[in-house]
Amino acid sequence: MMSDTVKWVIAFIVALILQTSFVPAISLGGIKPDLLIIVLFFYSLKYGVMPGIFVGFFLGLGQDLYSPSLLGQNALVKTVVGALIGLFNERVMRTDPLIKTVLLLVVFVVHDALFLVVQIVKLGDSVGVLFSGLFLHTLPRALYSVAVASLFYLWDMIPRPAARK
Amino acid sequence: MQWIIRFFASHRSIASLLLTAGAGIWMLSSPQMQQQRITRYLTYSVFYPFQFYFNQTTRIKNIFAENRRLKEEIASLSVKLAQTTDRTLENERLTDLLDISRRYPFTLVPARVVVRDPSFISRSAIVNVGKDKGILPYMPVMTAGGVAGKVIKVMGRMSLVQLMIDPANRTSVMIQRTREIGILETENGSDFFIMFRAHADVAIGDTVVTSGLGGIYPKGLLAGIVSRLAENRDPLFKKALVKPETNFDRLEEVFVIKLPPQWASFKSELDSLEAAP
Repeated sequence: MMSDTVKWVIAFIVALILQTSFVPAISLGGIKPDLLIIVLFFYSLKYGVMPGIFVGFFLGLGQDLYSPSLLGQNALVKTVVGALIGLFNERVMRTDPLIKTVLLLVVFVVHDALFLVVQIVKLGDSVGVLFSGLFLHTLPRALYSVAVASLFYLWDMIPRPAARK
Repeated sequence: MQWIIRFFASHRSIASLLLTAGAGIWMLSSPQMQQQRITRYLTYSVFYPFQFYFNQTTRIKNIFAENRRLKEEIASLSVKLAQTTDRTLENERLTDLLDISRRYPFTLVPARVVVRDPSFISRSAIVNVGKDKGILPYMPVMTAGGVAGKVIKVMGRMSLVQLMIDPANRTSVMIQRTREIGILETENGSDFFIMFRAHADVAIGDTVVTSGLGGIYPKGLLAGIVSRLAENRDPLFKKALVKPETNFDRLEEVFVIKLPPQWASFKSELDSLEAAP
């Protein structure tokens, strides 16, 4: 049996590959679901704050290196988001799919809000960018991502045979 | 200092958050040159597998794009090649026709077959020359191979040609070697034959040319080659099967020989003879 770490590494790699290859094909009017945040969301929910922080940091750093964003922007934002999700760790509190859905929407809003704040501070963009970005880009993206994330819930709902003792 | 270490040891999550967030803020606030150095260092160390993946992905994407472009180019070139091949073949045919026009001492009007009956036996064709080029009924039509037929109807800018494959068509011909005269005819549009008297000197491979006695075709136009001598029910005659030199399946460019029927000059006398009681 594969260890959990290997499974999650594979999950992140698959998410990365799909994000760069398959996701552009299913974009609706330029709006694409963010698979990396979805996987980070489930990972942090499962393992808590500290793993969420580190995985979020390195995931963000990787995105910074391979996207035209500012170096450190994604690393900072995803670190905070990883920590935030980790607070709702499944070991600490039990969350049903509805709460997870709302939480994922909040995560997307927080992620994009922080991202835009960094952009405003660093590049001197107007504050209007924050609100227009949140309404025109973040909200549709969050809804689309939640729709994609619901596939993971369905996966969870598939009954599996009990493990042999 | 000690209390700070103690605090971080007991609050590892906060310490991790401060450490990573601090690293993020440090990268954000560092000058452009330093950011580039960090990027280069990370790309070729910790993130090398991702660098490799992105390079390969880009390469594969480029290969697909190039493949698509090459396919389009192949399709376009195939069309061009087909056109070029067609023009080359047309050029060869026209060169042959030009050679013919130099060889024969007649005025030849080049024409293109514009309509062909697509039925199994195509008996007629329409060519794109008519009264505008001085074409008259009963003018002979030939190809590089030899006799093709005769004009039977003339319109303003086109003419109807009765081809030799029409069973109603009969052509006066002769064996070039022995000057034996006969009528070249066909019953099904593909097998041509000439009936000769049994003692006529005809052999396989003999060239058959027009005799010039029918009043339409000038003497000496190539009609075909004797391919077989068949037994005939009537012992007084023998049947020579002829393979025509003109390929009637691929009739594209022809020449109309500007030669009025030989009876045209004394047509009035003929008419008066017919009119006499």
